[in-house]
Amino acid sequence: MEERSYQRKPVVKIREMKDDYMKFELRNTDASVANALRRVMIAEVPTVAIDLVEIEVNSSVLNDEFIAHRLGLIPLTSERAMSMRFSRDCDACDGDGQCEYCSVEFHLRAKCVVDQTLDVTSKDLLSSDHTVVPVDFNEIAGDETSEQKGVMIVKLRRGQELRLRAIARKGIGKDHAKWSPAATVTFMYEPEININEDMMARLSLEDKQSIVESSPTKVFDIDPTTQQVVVVDAEAYTYDDEVIKKLESMGKTGLIDIKAKEDSFIFTVETTGAVKASQLVLNAIEILKQKLDAVRLSDDTVEADDQFGELGAHMRGG
Amino acid sequence: MNAPDRYERFVVPEGTKKVSYERDTKIINAASFIIEREEHTIGNILRMQLHLDENVLFAGYKLPHPLQYKIIVRIHTTSQSSPMQAYNVAINDLDKELDHLRTAFEDEIANHSSAREY
Repeated sequence: MEERSYQRKPVVKIREMKDDYMKFELRNTDASVANALRRVMIAEVPTVAIDLVEIEVNSSVLNDEFIAHRLGLIPLTSERAMSMRFSRDCDACDGDGQCEYCSVEFHLRAKCVVDQTLDVTSKDLLSSDHTVVPVDFNEIAGDETSEQKGVMIVKLRRGQELRLRAIARKGIGKDHAKWSPAATVTFMYEPEININEDMMARLSLEDKQSIVESSPTKVFDIDPTTQQVVVVDAEAYTYDDEVIKKLESMGKTGLIDIKAKEDSFIFTVETTGAVKASQLVLNAIEILKQKLDAVRLSDDTVEADDQFGELGAHMRGG
Repeated sequence: MNAPDRYERFVVPEGTKKVSYERDTKIINAASFIIEREEHTIGNILRMQLHLDENVLFAGYKLPHPLQYKIIVRIHTTSQSSPMQAYNVAINDLDKELDHLRTAFEDEIANHSSAREY
């Protein structure tokens, strides 16, 4: 058998990288791979989130399941998630899904004893594992911003109490959105904008300004020195064809030509803080590899006969 | 009331195989691969990768029903190859491409972080 390889060699260039935000370019790969990466980042990268809540005392204004739902949505730092086991696969625990390999225990005790409203936030949620804690949103340098108090769970009046025990487990976004580590993941085709300079020079200044203004986003501008229409930010183009339509209405079709480069993508990844943005992409690649591996044909892959009736009839000449 | 459980989307039940295939009796070198508990994420990249193979005459995938969590990938090849071979080659190439992507990414992160020290 000769060595046949139809492998592409993708190229990455990072534009901007912060803890929870990342913008990068991905080239020399197919749209299907870019989309698969996006889908995996949103739905299949595992995280840790509260999944079981035992409430001892709740005299707050919110009912038990309401609070349990809110607790589940709190993002927890999930570096450990990739190495943890799913509860359903864990053989170390005694079946109730609470052991150190597959779960993390939390507890919360709050009682309001003063006249002011007591805010119960994610900072009051105490973990048994210091690597899995509610995400700290102290990005902003301000002193008294609301982010410093953590995610609000419930507010208590004097005399009201909340005491509970929560178990956090590993899961994926496909199961429930609380396990999705991604806030938004988007990618766009990189646009290639060509302006026909000769035709452009023959236009009046008002015509040029109307062309520049016809785009809802600031893609073009008039260069102050040369009085020509130039591309100021190609990537602000959202593939609305407003400029093309404006040119057609002016009778100047073909003046500006905009194409999407088929194998060049600009990704924007924003996470909830559960995982770092760069780590999210790396985990997504790892998970995609694992999925492909699971789908490989092995020597014992059998030929299905009666199992799939919908294919049976026409395939068997019936 | 009739909705399947969420975990049905990705947990393969006991006794069901993840991948199986059926040869087409009427067309030579043609087969359908049934992959359980997968959807467009795998289906589309497999299909696009199969299209790059010169020996593949036809490659397509479908989800027979949105509530049945499986995909069917249909492959026709020339006599130079077989659907199983094309399938395995496609998966191996995708695996290598993702490896390449991962190293490219890791290098780029390292460069970006070190460049930002200044």
